Amino acid sequence: MGSFTSIVYKEIKELVRDPKILFGVVLLPLLLYPLMGQGIQISQQAVETSIKGAKFSIYSDDAGTIANILVQYIKTNNTVLTIEASSLQDALIKFKDSDSVALVYIPNGYSQNITEGLKGNVKIYGNLKNLNLAEASSSEVAGSLVNVYNYYYSLSLIKSLLTDSEQTGSPVAIHDPIRLSFASIIKGNVIEVSPSQITSLIVSQSIMLPIMVMMMVIFAIQMAATSIALEKEQKTLETLMTLPVGRLTILAGKLTGSVVIAIAGSISYMIGFSYYTSSAFSFAPQVTSVDMSGAGIGIQPMGYALLGLVMFVTLVSALALAISLAVFTDSVRSAQSLTGVLIVPLIIPAMILMFSDIEMLPQTIQWVLLAIPYTHTMLATKAALLGNYWIIVRSIGYISVFTVVVLWAAAKIFSTERIITSRFTNLTFRKRKKQSS
Amino acid sequence: MGLAVKIQDLRKSFGGFEALKGVNFEVDEAEIFGLIGPNGAGKTTTLRILGTLIRPTSGQAEVFGHDVVKDANAVRVILSYLPEDAGAYQYLNGEEYLRFMAGFYAHEKTALEEMVQAGRDISGLGDRLRDRVNDYSRGMKRRLLIARALMIKPKLTILDEPTSGLDVIQAYHVRGMIKDYAKRMGVTMLVSSHNMLEVEYLCDRVALINEGVIIAEGTPTQIKTRYNAVNLEQAFMEATQLG
Repeated sequence: MGSFTSIVYKEIKELVRDPKILFGVVLLPLLLYPLMGQGIQISQQAVETSIKGAKFSIYSDDAGTIANILVQYIKTNNTVLTIEASSLQDALIKFKDSDSVALVYIPNGYSQNITEGLKGNVKIYGNLKNLNLAEASSSEVAGSLVNVYNYYYSLSLIKSLLTDSEQTGSPVAIHDPIRLSFASIIKGNVIEVSPSQITSLIVSQSIMLPIMVMMMVIFAIQMAATSIALEKEQKTLETLMTLPVGRLTILAGKLTGSVVIAIAGSISYMIGFSYYTSSAFSFAPQVTSVDMSGAGIGIQPMGYALLGLVMFVTLVSALALAISLAVFTDSVRSAQSLTGVLIVPLIIPAMILMFSDIEMLPQTIQWVLLAIPYTHTMLATKAALLGNYWIIVRSIGYISVFTVVVLWAAAKIFSTERIITSRFTNLTFRKRKKQSS
Repeated sequence: MGLAVKIQDLRKSFGGFEALKGVNFEVDEAEIFGLIGPNGAGKTTTLRILGTLIRPTSGQAEVFGHDVVKDANAVRVILSYLPEDAGAYQYLNGEEYLRFMAGFYAHEKTALEEMVQAGRDISGLGDRLRDRVNDYSRGMKRRLLIARALMIKPKLTILDEPTSGLDVIQAYHVRGMIKDYAKRMGVTMLVSSHNMLEVEYLCDRVALINEGVIIAEGTPTQIKTRYNAVNLEQAFMEATQLG
């Protein structure tokens, strides 16, 4: 086994056997995300069940026939409590103490207004005892019931008006004379899917992808920094430097070992995350039912290959940066605090690009963001989704140049005595004044 | 017998601090040479320069005729260096650690196995070599590290404070290991310590270093006689005029 292979093998063995790395980088994403997804699914199902079994109350101040028809309609197929009260205030007190989630209030004059061709007022009160989603949604369900009634009542009025005036026509067409439908044109193809549906898909992806990139790079940075700092803390690096092996071989070996574990971590993260999305959003079939590849926005094999390359150069640059910084530290704790600053240029583009497109930002902010290499990783993930390979190639180029510069700096640091003598303590760099003991 | 180490007017500064102010000494082949002095005297800096970890500001240091700056790679092949308070990879077991280190020196399977076997024998850790290093006591770790340093049969072994932080019993065992190996193999060793009694027990010749300067050099007996002292500790105090 050559020196390089020996170092890589040792590095992987050490990282995999470290329970913190094994659990935090490889096992946690596999366990945590499916559990989170399951948790969301369970809570959503509970909300749905709660909405289905929701009880409504009804209080009518109007004794007219038209109001009674609305009351009967709401009572059909629903669990409804009719509140008997002397006033609305009294009715609201009773409603508040009941187990109903929504009160439909029909004020006096509703029937008369409808009869005279005016709008009849109906008001819905939500009983927000626990301020949860189920309570709010149940009020919406009560509102929908009234809206459905409103629609059919309107159709019957149109029908009787048509009959009275001896005119022909469809009550549905008169109610909604325009039938509006949407389609989208993507890369020259007309897709019978509304733009809002497609953009909601893109938005969901563009939120997910930057988070994934950010997490993966943070894992890698922390792992590499810890690995170097541990070697310095235990003085194994000092021993390694006196062995008949090139310092660049040591650097390359450590980088490769960390890249292997970071890739394993990313794979486990992606598996965990896909379980999370499939279980967390299973209650909303409309989100996942649109066939993205049919819309021309799926990732093609070429996109996957380029994306893999982007991820690889991103990881190498982040690891080289972390190692370059960690050599100035003398303990794991100081390495983690120093490399913590690297998380800032990751979080800023991730947060901005989650909610906005780069072209929508002011020119100056665009340039600042584009100067950060990790912005390009996030742009490349979105570009892969849309098949814009030129953007990915540009990203690979930029990150590669940055990586070469960082690797050159790391190699320089490794080939000097700075790796032994410099250290970072309490936010200041200083050289060891006392070398002897 | 030739010269194993030759140091001439060695100087090293860290910023404005001058750690070595013109150090001179020589170590003969097959000799155990002790570099003794208090904390901050310049022992570790001297050993790190010989170990090719840091470069001198000026002066010259040679190991078996190889300049430590110009010919660092050749020095690394024939030298074994054990830093003070060094550790081993905690998630490897003792055997894996020895094998990993031997891999840098042995390029054939037979040579590698011989080296690892030598490491097993020197360490005396037996079945405990199958345990992970993070389960070892301080003394066991030091025995493993010394075995690592010696198993490759280096032409020069540098041991920086080999018994630092060990209790009396562990230090006794480690000193025994070093003495026994040196006697059997006739190797050259450069040992630093601030424990002057330890150096007196281990070394053929010693150099007293203080504030970056060698203040006395010779066999322990010669130094004790020169300062009319009963041990090296007393001789050191006399030499620095602190006594």
